Order: sequence, then C-alpha cells, then structure tokens
Amino acid sequence: MATGILKNVEVKGIACAVPDRIVNNEKYNEVFGKENVKKFINITGVQTRHVAINEQCTSDLCYAASIRLMEKLNWEPSSIDALILITQTPDYAVPATACVLQHRLGLSEDCIAFDVNLGCSAYVYGIWLAATMISTENLKRVLLLVGDTSNYGINQNDSATAMIFGDGGSATALESSEGKDIKYILKTKGSGFKNIIVPAGHARSRGKTNADLSEYELAMDGSAIFAFTITDIPRTIKSFISQYDIDMNDIDMYVFHQANLFILKHLAKKLNVPMEKIPVSIDRYGNTSGESIPLTLVDALGNEESAKPIKLLLSGFGIGLSWGCIYLEMDKSVCLPMIYTNDYYTGG
Amino acid sequence: MNITEKLNILKDLLDIDQDILGEETKLDQLDEWDSIASITTIAMFDSHFGKEVTPEEVRGFKTIKDITDRMD
Repeated sequence: MATGILKNVEVKGIACAVPDRIVNNEKYNEVFGKENVKKFINITGVQTRHVAINEQCTSDLCYAASIRLMEKLNWEPSSIDALILITQTPDYAVPATACVLQHRLGLSEDCIAFDVNLGCSAYVYGIWLAATMISTENLKRVLLLVGDTSNYGINQNDSATAMIFGDGGSATALESSEGKDIKYILKTKGSGFKNIIVPAGHARSRGKTNADLSEYELAMDGSAIFAFTITDIPRTIKSFISQYDIDMNDIDMYVFHQANLFILKHLAKKLNVPMEKIPVSIDRYGNTSGESIPLTLVDALGNEESAKPIKLLLSGFGIGLSWGCIYLEMDKSVCLPMIYTNDYYTGG
Repeated sequence: MNITEKLNILKDLLDIDQDILGEETKLDQLDEWDSIASITTIAMFDSHFGKEVTPEEVRGFKTIKDITDRMD
C-alpha cells in the first residue's frame, strides 16, 4: 500500500492567485433556463467563479503566487532546489511549463524542474512528492506549484461542465525541518480513466483525421464520479486514520477537494464530521481542480496572523481516477492572503 | 419498509408531488428524472439503505418500481 510517514519536512507557506474576472452563474439563465441554473447552484453550491482572461495561463497564476510567497519567506531564488508544477493545462504541449517558470522566477540552473499531469488529486500527490524529495533526497527547499485554467476547452452549452470550474494557481513552500513529519496515502483506479477525459488532441487520436470538435472538450460522467467519491474516499480516509491512530476529533480542519457542495455534505455525513470543520470555497471560486485544497486553505486562513499550530487532513480525489490523503500540522499563519490578478507573460 | 414510505423518499428526492408518483410511473416521462437525479439517487441508496448502487444500475432503471424494488 502506498502510505507512509515522511520525516523532517514542513510546509512553510501557501499562496494562491485567481483571475480578477468573476463570472456569476446566473448569467447562464438564458442558456440553460432559470430553473435549471437554480437547481445546479443548489446542488453544486457554485454561485460565482474566477475565470482567466484569454491571455492568462495557469503558469501566470502560479508565477504570481510564487513571487509573493518567495518575498514573504525571504527565499532567495538561488536557494530553491526544486520546482514541481502539477497541472493539466500547461502552456505548451512541449516543453514542460516548469522549465519556463524556472526561467521566469530566476531560479538557479541547479534547480530540478518538471511537470506532473494530475487534476483533482494534484495537491496531495504534490505534497507527497515534494516532501519525499526533501525527506529522502536531502533537498532543502522545494516549491510546489499546483493550478489549472480548466475553463479553457469547455463546451459553453454543456450544463455539466460550463458552470462548475474556476481557474487559479497556487504555490506551496516546503522545507526541511527537524522533528516535523507528513503522513500520506495515495491511490489510483485507472479503470475509470474515461470518467473525466478530453479524448482528442494528443497521441491516441493521432490517426483520426476527422475528430469531432466535441472530442477536444472535457467530458465528465458526473454520476460515475459521484459513486466513486462517496464509496472510495470515506473508505480510504477511515483506513488512513485508523492506520496511524489519529483521533478524528483532534483534527482541526478537513480540507477536501471542492468537487461540489453536495459531495462535501455527503462526505461530512459519512465521516460523521461537522460541516464547521470542512471549509467551503466552491461557492465563490468554483471547482478549481488541483488548486482547490490550497485555495480553500488560503480562503479560510489567509488573514490569520496567529502562529498557533493546527492539524489538517487534506483529501483530493477525481480525474484518473486518482486520490489520496495527507495529514500534517502547520502554523495557522502560513497562508498568505488571496491574490487577484490579470497579469500574464508576454515573452511566451 | 412499505411502499408508501418508499414513495415518500422518492417524492422528497425528486421534489415531486406524490399523487402523480406510482410504481408504474415511467422515469423517462418525469422532467425531474435528469442527470442530477441520478446522482441524488445514488446518494439516497447510500445514506438511507447503505447500498452501493452503480451508475449503470441507475441508467437501467425504467420505472419507479425498479427503484423501489432495489430498496429491499
């Protein structure tokens, strides 16, 4: 089983950036009908979302978050040993966008930089990967960037996807720290790879000369994803908690991927956790893919100045199908206030 | 659980008037039976009956009776 404890590593800071532009889902009344939009908002909880302007990429949002975070922590660019970018909306098919960001952020040539392709589970996988590099490879500082501009490539006439996603980018600073540790469990169920998929645009459709335009858009089987979420996620959380003898009452916050409000409420019920311990950001930011966990933390704690330590259980789940949990302690003050920006890179 | 209790659960689930809901009601004739209803149906089986109903099973439901039978 892919689970363990990574020693001597700590999360030192988290910053998130979202586009300035806010889209209110009521704008879709004319497309889908007022009643249908109301029903959608009631179930998913998504009232408004931040949507990137055309020129703005995931990397631009992650860049804004990184700059602010490095300033706050006084991290010299030359002191960063690795940059990991997890996104499903990179700047280019090739090269890896992490290389572009290493250049833009002025990081050293001695810095490891690479992309990982994951969505809703990106943050828990990213924390594991960054913490592993520090804990077992003796790196000192790692910058983990997770974000997506999921609204690109969405069919505006598909009610399942047009109103759900928000865009954003995050930066998380991890550093070696004596005596601190991070617990993890990670899982994969590739049999569900078609449950959320963009079928065309890459090698599998290379031979197809007449791919339908809709095959370049995200297709999502909502009920299959829901069935997976309400069975596999509580099961994994319960076994994780029991394996490490964690008292669920001691956990200050359960930060879940913001898939939709209905799923969050159902998870709360199944795990017997009060909603007060499950922060919600989906109402104002939408489902922000892999960024939803750091964004929810920043939304809840971004203005906290107290250094009081809190215990967190993070769980990301979705496209892949891929999921996992992280248990860690961090200071309440590690989250920076939310960044709003329409800046983008003109050198690309 | 008797049939009235089962129909009451479905009435709440679909937000529908019970008078028009009978065991023989065909689901494709109900406006309320949409993609969101298939998700809330899976949730209802999970929370009320502790049953893991698959999306394929839900797609196979043709009448209200197909759903109430699965509640047993």
